[in-house]
Amino acid sequence: MRGDDRLTRGRGRYTADLRVDGCLEAAFVRSPVPHADLLGVDTTTARTLPGVAAILTADDLTDVGDVPTMFGTDDSPPWRPLATDRVRHEGEAVAVVIADDRYRAEDAAAAVRLDLHRRPGHAAPGRADRLYPDHDDLALEKEFGPPVADTTWQEAHVVIDSRYRQQLLAPTSLEARAILVEPGSPLTVHCSHQFPHGLRTGIAGALGLAEDDVRVIVPDAGGAFGSKSPTYPEYLAVVAAARDLGRPVRWVEDRTEALTASSRGRGQDQHVRIAADVDGRILAIDLQVDADIGAHPLGAALPGQTALAASEAYAVPEVHATVRSWFTTTAPTYAYRGAGRPEAAYAVERAVDELAAELGLDPAELRRRNLVRDFPYDTPTGRRYDSGDYAACLDRCLELLEPDRWRGERERPTGVGIACYVERSGGEPGILEEYGSVTVEPAGFTGRVGTSSTGQPHRTVFAQLVADRLGVPADVVDLVEGDTGEVPEGHGTFASRSTQMGGAALAGAADALIDEARLQAAARWGLSSGDVAWDKGVLRAGTRELPVAELAPLHAEHRFTSPPAFPYGSYGVVVEVDPDLGAVTLLRLVAVDDYGTVLDHTATHGQTLGSIAQGLGQVLTEGVVLDDEGATVMPDGLLDYLLPTAAEMPRDLRVDETAVPAPDNPLGVKGAGEAGCIGVPPAVVNAVADAIRPLGGDPSRLRMPLTPSVVWEAMQP
Amino acid sequence: MELDVNGTRHEVTVEPRRALADVLREDLGLTGTHLGCEHGVCGTCTVLLDGEPVRSCLVLAVQATGHEVRTVEGLADDDPLPGVFAEHHALQCGFCTPGFLMLLRGALDEDPTVVDDDDRLDALLASNLCRCTGYEGIRNAARAAGTRPD
Repeated sequence: MRGDDRLTRGRGRYTADLRVDGCLEAAFVRSPVPHADLLGVDTTTARTLPGVAAILTADDLTDVGDVPTMFGTDDSPPWRPLATDRVRHEGEAVAVVIADDRYRAEDAAAAVRLDLHRRPGHAAPGRADRLYPDHDDLALEKEFGPPVADTTWQEAHVVIDSRYRQQLLAPTSLEARAILVEPGSPLTVHCSHQFPHGLRTGIAGALGLAEDDVRVIVPDAGGAFGSKSPTYPEYLAVVAAARDLGRPVRWVEDRTEALTASSRGRGQDQHVRIAADVDGRILAIDLQVDADIGAHPLGAALPGQTALAASEAYAVPEVHATVRSWFTTTAPTYAYRGAGRPEAAYAVERAVDELAAELGLDPAELRRRNLVRDFPYDTPTGRRYDSGDYAACLDRCLELLEPDRWRGERERPTGVGIACYVERSGGEPGILEEYGSVTVEPAGFTGRVGTSSTGQPHRTVFAQLVADRLGVPADVVDLVEGDTGEVPEGHGTFASRSTQMGGAALAGAADALIDEARLQAAARWGLSSGDVAWDKGVLRAGTRELPVAELAPLHAEHRFTSPPAFPYGSYGVVVEVDPDLGAVTLLRLVAVDDYGTVLDHTATHGQTLGSIAQGLGQVLTEGVVLDDEGATVMPDGLLDYLLPTAAEMPRDLRVDETAVPAPDNPLGVKGAGEAGCIGVPPAVVNAVADAIRPLGGDPSRLRMPLTPSVVWEAMQP
Repeated sequence: MELDVNGTRHEVTVEPRRALADVLREDLGLTGTHLGCEHGVCGTCTVLLDGEPVRSCLVLAVQATGHEVRTVEGLADDDPLPGVFAEHHALQCGFCTPGFLMLLRGALDEDPTVVDDDDRLDALLASNLCRCTGYEGIRNAARAAGTRPD
């Protein structure tokens, strides 16, 4: 991929690698407790320490606006960049020290004394003692679809009633958050970020600047996975410090901060009920989500994604979902790879498996009887599935999984599990548009697009896309993104939207460029544009020809809008359980996804594998450990929060695709970034449930992560 | 103190508490060595100390004096590892890549057969964390590097 030659030679330029003369370092003073009144901040000693340039507290930031929420509520309580009179989660920033060296900045941060009066904390969703005086602890309540009729439950042959927990996950990009701010006009912000134009809007709004007075540049970025799209409070504090001191300031988050103070994903208590008839036809699904959204409503509305997905792959006449988002004394819960869809797939696919067990039906056959087959399909909770062949996808998964091969006498308890999912890619109204442009330069072409790579090979895939559209070699196409000074507008990279939305915008811009070039050539030759042909970068009419470079500067833009797309997939897993220890080993993992038309199979395969690894992390090893009040209990950092290593990846990994083109996308493309996170967890838990059921184990005691002790306890009859 | 990095001798004045990684990055400008966790778990900051892979976030710069430090910038021009990583799509964001490259360079120099056995290879690669790739590309790249003489 483009850039790999730099990145494999140590020549990457991540935010912390940038060298700016006179740059100061920021270190934050953070709340050590989940909930307390903040009675005072004593910086007296800290200010005398060597190297300290400034210490800012809330009093120094009164002219800075509130932290913008991304998916907040209509009536969100104000969120200040530095805490004022109360701290509401462990790690909440209270003050920021600016010094000439990071070691000295941390020394001074440690010397700042906080006067705190503890209040009780509450980590679990539910009403407590009012985190905000003027707001109920229930930040948001919303209902999707008409309620299921009482008679449906009463007359059903069987009703499954299950509760599940989506544990909090730490997104854990290996590069944590990082920002470097250069004051001046424009204020220049280098930041590892998914949504540079959003950050520009957030900073400009809070600082009272015009958007043109702020330039956001995303250099190489070391992963994001949903967590790097907000305007975080720390960013506003660093911007204010740089502004006040007239000096560049950078903040490079450390791993302890990332694990305690930064946003987390998932965080839902789920109650799901499914009614079915004697043949296994699903009559109704009711999903109730109680989400712990943390102390600030950064992602309060995100659980709505789970409700919208409550039908999953099934044509079910009655589907109803309710979402309640609760303030908790924890760091904000926000988007993490999948953002609401893994949660829905887990709830529905676990319950569907329980239904199959209850009815004594093969789980694949039960699913097959209920799959959506006619498109477009309107779900009761408000989605319009665009296209697909869900049954073909499931069949291909079963072919690769070979479920019968694993039945019969085996040395250790063995289980087979499957899960189907349907997700939404491209985004929601408001971001279902993207900007692309193509410019002819003397030396070639430059594409510009409003997405922002945090590790995805946009520069390779998008340059090839523009090149193919223009009929020119890819090496004459440059691709620019992640710089608000270069790209006038954009909606960034999340919701598996970049190729679907940004790719389509670039394709439209390339087409527009061809039209414009033909028009200009026609005018030059006194012809109509219909007489001029575009031929691989050369305009031709009869014997006349004109290389498009001679029309430079020539520029065309396209703003693409469309409804979302609905990728889907079927996952299959074979597990073996250690009967003495409860340890789970994956013997085979099958992923069959439908991403529509695939532009670059290497890139897509990489996304699939990476999201599978993160799905395995959720189901097997990862989980933020909190005490009841919300304090983090992970003293050894990444030795407590366990990311999957190479040793956890199954060796028998079978990845395949079906490819039903997206009808609303000119390229036929659907999103491809989040599939594995959605399909893997329910498939693995279903497989473990299958393994322990014959032993007299109780699958309802399985909860993620499936540590050996969880599985061992669930295995005991 | 003197520090021998990639065959060049550097004269630096540092506090005793300063980590080798910070001296490499901030004082010598060798930013190819990345910091992912600063507590010795992720392996992103792996460098070679006298040929042995170490976490440069856990080594004090003063401990490195008198030893040869090798960073990703010091990989030979004809080292096959960077090329096979690109070829096998063994990187996405690239942040962990220098750590894996140095881990593998150290291990291959010690025993080129380490990548031929799946269990030994996974045990080696499990030293470091990658959050993007799911490791398949890294496994394949490692095997490919083992079959090519450097």
